[in-house]
Amino acid sequence: MNNPSAATALNVSKIYGHGDSEVRALDDVSVHFETGKFTAIMGPSGSGKSTLMHCMAGLDEMTSGSVTIADTDIASLSDKELTKLRRDKIGFVFQSFNLVPTLTADENIRLPLLLGNNKGNEEWIQKVISTVHLQDRLSHRPSELSGGQQQRVAVARALASEPAIIFADEPTGNLDSTTGTEILTFMRKAVDDLGQTIVMVTHDPVSASYADRIVFLKDGKIAGELLKPTPELVLDYMKKLGH
Amino acid sequence: MFRIALKGILGRKARLVLTSLAVILGTAFLSGTAVFSATLNRTFDNLFSDVFRNIDAYVRSTQVIEADFGAEERQRLPQELIAMIEEVPGVADVQGDIQAFARIVGKDGKPLGSEGAGPPTFGSVGEDFKGALWTISDGKFPESSTEVALDEASAKAGKFVVGDKVKVVAQAGSREFTLVGIASYGDVRSPGGATFALFDLATAQEFLAKPGFVDDILISGDGSVSDEDLAKAINAAIPSSFNTETLTGAEITKETQDQIGSALSFFGILLSTFSYIALGVGSFVIYNVFSISAAQRQRENALLRAIGASKKQVTRAMLIESVVVGLFGSIIGLFAGIGLSKALSSLLKAAGIDLPSGGLVVPSSAVVNTIVVGLIVTVTSAWLPARRAGRVPPLAAMRETAIEVVALTRRRTIFGLVLIAIGAASIVAVTNGASNTWLGFGILFVFSGTITLGPVIARPVALLLGRPAETLRGVTGTMARQNSARNPKRTSRTASPVLIGVALVTAVAALAASIRTQIDGVFTEQFKGDYAINTNARGFGGLSPSLADDINALPEVERATGFGLLTVKIEDKGQYLTTINPATVEGVFDIGLTSGKYSDLTPETIFVSQKYADNNNAKLGDSIAVTLVDAQVKTLTIAGIYEFDDLAGKYTVSRDLVKDSTVISFDLGVYIKVKAGVSDAAARSALQAAVDKYGQGTLLSKREYIDLQSGQINQLLGLIYGLLFLSVIIAVVGIIITLLLSVFERQREIGLLRAVGMTKSQVRTTVRWESVITSLLGAVVGIVLGVGLGWVIVYALRDQGLSSFSVPVGSTVSILIMAFIVGVLAAVYPAWRATRVNLLSAITTA
Repeated sequence: MNNPSAATALNVSKIYGHGDSEVRALDDVSVHFETGKFTAIMGPSGSGKSTLMHCMAGLDEMTSGSVTIADTDIASLSDKELTKLRRDKIGFVFQSFNLVPTLTADENIRLPLLLGNNKGNEEWIQKVISTVHLQDRLSHRPSELSGGQQQRVAVARALASEPAIIFADEPTGNLDSTTGTEILTFMRKAVDDLGQTIVMVTHDPVSASYADRIVFLKDGKIAGELLKPTPELVLDYMKKLGH
Repeated sequence: MFRIALKGILGRKARLVLTSLAVILGTAFLSGTAVFSATLNRTFDNLFSDVFRNIDAYVRSTQVIEADFGAEERQRLPQELIAMIEEVPGVADVQGDIQAFARIVGKDGKPLGSEGAGPPTFGSVGEDFKGALWTISDGKFPESSTEVALDEASAKAGKFVVGDKVKVVAQAGSREFTLVGIASYGDVRSPGGATFALFDLATAQEFLAKPGFVDDILISGDGSVSDEDLAKAINAAIPSSFNTETLTGAEITKETQDQIGSALSFFGILLSTFSYIALGVGSFVIYNVFSISAAQRQRENALLRAIGASKKQVTRAMLIESVVVGLFGSIIGLFAGIGLSKALSSLLKAAGIDLPSGGLVVPSSAVVNTIVVGLIVTVTSAWLPARRAGRVPPLAAMRETAIEVVALTRRRTIFGLVLIAIGAASIVAVTNGASNTWLGFGILFVFSGTITLGPVIARPVALLLGRPAETLRGVTGTMARQNSARNPKRTSRTASPVLIGVALVTAVAALAASIRTQIDGVFTEQFKGDYAINTNARGFGGLSPSLADDINALPEVERATGFGLLTVKIEDKGQYLTTINPATVEGVFDIGLTSGKYSDLTPETIFVSQKYADNNNAKLGDSIAVTLVDAQVKTLTIAGIYEFDDLAGKYTVSRDLVKDSTVISFDLGVYIKVKAGVSDAAARSALQAAVDKYGQGTLLSKREYIDLQSGQINQLLGLIYGLLFLSVIIAVVGIIITLLLSVFERQREIGLLRAVGMTKSQVRTTVRWESVITSLLGAVVGIVLGVGLGWVIVYALRDQGLSSFSVPVGSTVSILIMAFIVGVLAAVYPAWRATRVNLLSAITTA
């Protein structure tokens, strides 16, 4: 806990519906993600792990509580400001459909910068591109890339604007295990070598074991934490939580 | 399968509405124009049966000259016939009738009604008569040579009340009368917006026509004999030397109704032609919507196939949907059309054309036609997409995204090029002497070829047109550019309606520009004066010939000459003769005399054009027999041949030819050359004073006059643009629908973009530019085709004297600007919808 916080959630609740049909997707969750660390969020289906990520990334509105990203309280932001925050301070990697089919790999990587009319740090971008080995694929469109290559482009895009934090939602969910490993290795490298902050939602213990820390969610509440995990440790912990 | 189809339709009401919209618009114009024409027709039928209600017999001359454009001139009847008819047993009342040119001058000194453009201005007889066409609503009928009655609409327009002084211009000049009565025609304040000045018979004869003569005779019976017997008896009472015929009231009613009917049917055909063009444009939109919706339902259809539906069943489900959409759209279109026809009627009313009141007529043929045509167009447009839907492999159900398969076949390119080549070849053949009909053939092929090639050219052209968007708007522009090119078939289908509309507008503009250039050239060459007095009363009334004489007498004027038209019969065919004053024409109005002198033109001679002389092997000294409207035959000797026939036509005679006949001669214009050194202000004030004396005609400078002549084409242009506007509306709706469906299809992409930081305004920009690029694509290709089409039309009219082709640069620029604006406007709603895409559902649904 000696690192500063890249993102903090304080007493965040997300409630769907009213009265009897009320569903608490997030129930008074407080969590913070340290800068320069790779954190995984785990939990069974319906535990609220994706909802937490969406609320923290400004993709979904929370019912109560507050979220701070890079020292900005996102609750106070207008839609336009929130969009700019996502563009400039947050990187995203989704499970599928990550890329704009009409743009080349290079354009997709620079998309947040281009949308902000921002040249970005060229040296950094080149470093990112070479880290994910995409140098010779830059002029291709997504339809000409393999699934793994597409996810690499997505990771590169998330990194390109040097965001305060990257949110990854099941980034390897649609990939075979070899390609998945490759992506996770890149993400690990981004944290270790490039000093990035990554928060990844996953239900796979092996993927989660790439993280520095795992936050477990169950029924919309924080159920526990695990530092320096291995797949075995994760499985044990999950059993203990009654998955 | 039927139930699945129905469920599919009802499950997506928004799509049903969108698809139907194109059908609704197309059929609304169809039913609207049909209902409007039918209503107009019945309105006039009613008017005339009302007007001739108390007329039991009608006598007129059998001497008639039918000229171009349905104009006819009938010989006048001597007044003595009235007394003859009065003696016939069974006759209760007889009235001699005159309908001639007369123009009411308003209190501001300007004639009522718009000169030329508007409905005609009449002078007629208004007397107390049992079968009177006119009924007095205020005051009385005129009884002396100083009294006049006006139709209600004119009295209202001119703010005249009984007792006012009213100035009227007619053949005998301009005079002031006392308004003694206000009259209505049947049920209306004025028939079809025409103005009427009514006089007693003697005044009408002397002021409007010729003393001692009437145009026709109206008879009211006493009811003792049938109309047929009455007509027979009257006919028997008039010696055959008078060359008359007697019609019953029913016959003249029917004839008048038929005449109006055929005039209206031309109007009806014009309207329905343009509504069919609109429907054709709409069929592209319908086809496009079905294609897109088939693509978007690919997974659904594949699932149906996977669980055992046959190809046929999937296709049939979609066809059933098209039948429902076609019926639904056509029925709504039918009702929308009825509303539209009401709007058209109010539009006419606003333009000053007062139509008798009466309910709308919805002929059953219009109902059946609208629904059947709407249904056929819809189902035909859905046919190909439905067949394609059936061919979807069951495996497609497992695929992740459903995107329309875009395969551009080499076959399409070749087929399109072949069509264009055939079209071009037939046009080239015509320039080498083949018949003009091949031009139409050629145009059809070039159009079909271009539309076939559409998907092939859409991508490169859209990418080219999108380049500025990319430069201006950065990555949002790039996406708009790529989006407009990503599905060339869809883009070209969306742009095709724009293309057709723009091509037609451009062609019409090119034709108009060419005609304008031509007219400009002709007048510059042949009109040598400094000023002109113009009246647009083509073929009906005009300037008094004494105006030119008055002007000639002015000290400021070097020379002034009038010219007019005369309808005659030559070799049993109606012809127009140009009348000039040989004493004053030289140096003011140049007809390019190549042999003979103007002084050779006497009441016994005629000039003919070089073209006429060539075609008829005519030479100086030959004679031509000319039958005047009053049946006099004059044998005229050719005394001169002239080159410029653009204004003068085939024949030119002296205005003195009809001096001693019942035929009235008007001048259509006076050309004036002023003396050297006379200032513009001095010339204008002297000339204006002369014009004011007659209250008729407009004084114009040479430039103004030429501009006015060449500007007349603008009216026609306005009408055609108005009608093509229907197609443009459909094209816009087509863009809106396609964009909406594309936005719907790209929900996830938009959600992703929003997630990674695209602002709502950037989302709107992307949609807007895609729309602009699509619209411009249609406009640019349309302009290219339209200029070509315009050239072909001008070429086809080369024998009608159209010799030069002008590219309508101004119109082309405005069309491009319009296309840009249309693109922006069409994108408003789809762009708004795009910003409403639910970000989360877009990125979380797998």
